[in-house]
Amino acid sequence: MLQILIYGAVSSAIYAMLAVGFTLIFGVARILNLAHGSFYALGAYSAYVLTSVLNVPLLIAAPLAVLIVAGFGVLMERYLVRPLRASQLAVLMITLAVSLAVEQALFITFGSEYRNVPSFVADKLTIGGVDIGGQRLLALVMGVLVLLLLWLFIQRTRLGAAILAVSQDPEAAQYMGIPTNRIFSIVMAISAGTAALAGILVSPFLTVQPTMGLLPMVKAFAIVIVGGLGSIPGSIIASLILGYSETIVAYLISTSWTELVSLVAVVVTLMIRPAGIRAAF
Amino acid sequence: MRQLSLIDIAGGLVVIAILALAPVLISSNYLTGVLTVCVIYGIWAASWDFMSGLTGRENFGHSLFIGTGAYTAGFLSSIWTANPWYSLPLGVVVAVAFSILVGFPTLRLRGPYFALAMLSTSAILQRLCLIFWEYTGGEEGIYGLDPLMKTPLYYYWFALGILAVTVIVLTLLARSHWGLLLRAIRGDEATCQAAGINVTFYKIVSLMISAGFAGLGGALYAHYQLQVSPPLFSVVVSITVIIMVYVGGIGSIYGAAVAAILLTLLTEMLRGFGEYRLWIYTLTLMMILFFLPNGLIAPLWRRMTERLR
Amino acid sequence: MSDLLEVNGVTKRFGGLTAVKNASFTLKKGDFTGILGPNGAGKTTLFNILTGFMPPTAGSIHFNGELVRDLAPYQVVNRGMARTFQLTRPFIGMNLLENVLVACMSPRASQDKDKEARARHLLAQVGLGGRDKEPVETLPYGDLRRLEIARALATRPDLLLLDEPFAGLGSSEIEQLAQLIRRLHREENLTILLIEHKLREFMALVSRVIAMNFGEIIAVGPPDEIVKNEKVIEAYIGKTEDSYASA
Ligand SMILES: Nc1ncnc2c1ncn2[C@@H]1O[C@H](COP(=O)(O)OP(=O)(O)OP(=O)(O)O)[C@@H](O)[C@H]1O
Ligand SMILES: [Mg+2]
Repeated sequence: MLQILIYGAVSSAIYAMLAVGFTLIFGVARILNLAHGSFYALGAYSAYVLTSVLNVPLLIAAPLAVLIVAGFGVLMERYLVRPLRASQLAVLMITLAVSLAVEQALFITFGSEYRNVPSFVADKLTIGGVDIGGQRLLALVMGVLVLLLLWLFIQRTRLGAAILAVSQDPEAAQYMGIPTNRIFSIVMAISAGTAALAGILVSPFLTVQPTMGLLPMVKAFAIVIVGGLGSIPGSIIASLILGYSETIVAYLISTSWTELVSLVAVVVTLMIRPAGIRAAF
Repeated sequence: MRQLSLIDIAGGLVVIAILALAPVLISSNYLTGVLTVCVIYGIWAASWDFMSGLTGRENFGHSLFIGTGAYTAGFLSSIWTANPWYSLPLGVVVAVAFSILVGFPTLRLRGPYFALAMLSTSAILQRLCLIFWEYTGGEEGIYGLDPLMKTPLYYYWFALGILAVTVIVLTLLARSHWGLLLRAIRGDEATCQAAGINVTFYKIVSLMISAGFAGLGGALYAHYQLQVSPPLFSVVVSITVIIMVYVGGIGSIYGAAVAAILLTLLTEMLRGFGEYRLWIYTLTLMMILFFLPNGLIAPLWRRMTERLR
Repeated sequence: MSDLLEVNGVTKRFGGLTAVKNASFTLKKGDFTGILGPNGAGKTTLFNILTGFMPPTAGSIHFNGELVRDLAPYQVVNRGMARTFQLTRPFIGMNLLENVLVACMSPRASQDKDKEARARHLLAQVGLGGRDKEPVETLPYGDLRRLEIARALATRPDLLLLDEPFAGLGSSEIEQLAQLIRRLHREENLTILLIEHKLREFMALVSRVIAMNFGEIIAVGPPDEIVKNEKVIEAYIGKTEDSYASA
């Protein structure tokens, strides 16, 4: 029972980190970023290169990797997405092209075999008679922390208020003197950074390989559909629903069936409440 | 309506003649095989273009229809040992069923729900093939399908014929009043509603048509490879098809088919580059997006034949 | 004879703003009615609700005796209520004929077997005859209005809703368009509901006026009574001065 509780929380936290960034950049800049999964994979590989190849200490490597990927996201938005923003299809295509390019680049550089990233914390914790890997707990704690910080940042800072203003009405925001293009860059950095952090946190206990970004991104899509596109509270709640449903299904039936959960969640949501659970707020 | 001009028909006949005669003149089994794959990609690209190119609703999971069509053939022919000729119609039926399943809930909605749902569903189906390996053969897929025809050359001609029919049917539809409505939907859905048009109905039916041809192509492909495997559902297949349409010129249908054939040939010639092949696709896509937003093949053809119209 | 359109207590709120407040009125077959009101009075919002583009917050709408409140816009059109848009919305990239042809594909036009001939006839009827192949991108405002009317007529409506057809036109253009609308009313057996926010254009045209202000219907009556109505004068003079001041 306790195991479900904790493992579900870990999955939910990872999903939420991915989904919130994805929905944020859509809500603010209307960019449906099909390269979001690449950020996750790039985060994991950056951590791998920094620690295992360049022998940078883990505590420095992790934030450095986040910064690298955030910078990559900003450059991508600035030079590849922004010139094509007039066409929704072109934006979808270019982000898709980036995701393909990243996957291929990783494949050519590192090959398809699995890579290992050392654990941040090696110990196991025993809570109520259940062994939980310290790394998983760290992922949970960091995930909750990052989401909290993000929430405070958006609710309590001037920059956060500007981001909200842009997401509600970009034209009006521009008239009010908010530099929308700079806001897009900042949000892209946040979005790419949180996805990268998720990738780094899972890298010690999941497999690091070139296509690792696809499935989590598909989950992020599912979460965003269930939660309502552009809604942060919606995507957090949907992450919890999906994270726990998958854990429960894995526990009661088998891990094989977990992939069906997101499919069913998407279909059910679209059938009964197409706008997502955001509509409930 | 936009009439088909004589020069278009002549151009089409020349292309079909070249394609039909090439393996006779060069007579190599390898070329026949490559061309068969080219032609099947042509069917997939043309069918994508009919729905997404005309209505502007981006389908990022065409591989869902390709894969379901192919797996239907796999199950029928290899596991249930049915007459292989049943594969084609049933592949169409199953793909169309899936198009209703995904299209009905998502095409009613504004926003990119359709694109996301298509991409997710195809990716999840690929996973399901691996997970339920007892039934689907997992990574290896299903082997030992019966060929539709013994001679590869005949099968190629058969596939070429199906491509020709696909392009003709879809082009005629696209240039009919139906196609006009689909283009109107691409332009402004609210105005279409004000004109009394049931927008959702037309979108779903055009997706069904698109899925039907894609499923047919999938079943054809299965009976060419005589095996089906999970990568048929992969996002890469969908993207390859979309890039082909982009190169061909969105909404032109014949452009998509020609681009599919040329790009498949090109990929085959670059086989030596191995892993770098996908890069070529990716770079092509980026170049097209930035420098040729209207595509290459269809605009080129129009420019070339301008004076003859 | 029963009412063609029966609007009962229709209300629309956008957050804190009530754009339409408890509006009730009826239209009889063959009526030629105008909706009068200053900018922001809620006229377009009322049209959007009648034609299914927005759900009302409260109230009901019966058309030909049938409740149409929860229908989609195309379903409303297919019951016989067609509209034009205040900001014209042509299909970009298509010529005039194709623009009208789209509407000729709607179910109520199924009796028109030769769609092209029908579309050409409609273009001629609104004064755009012989210009089938012209692209819409270069069309002047007045012609775009006519195109919108042709498109609405293609769905063979019983009731035609026109949203400020005269806005932005010069006086001779207004006169010609008014003649066209009058002729349609007479010859095509159409019931017409027309929005306008300048008093003068109404006088000669409509036989009854519904005056709105701040989302509320403040007066209903023939035009010569409406111009003398105190509430209307108050709303109007007050508003005109405001708009002069802000202009
Ligand atoms: N979709 C909407 N969301 C929020 N507010 C709206 C919306 N549509 C209209 N409004 C508001 O409702 C009020 C009425 O608008 P409406 O367009 O109906 O006025 P109108 O009478 O047509 O004015 P005009 O003469 O300028 O066309 C306005 O204050 C407008 O800002
Ligand atoms: Mg208005």
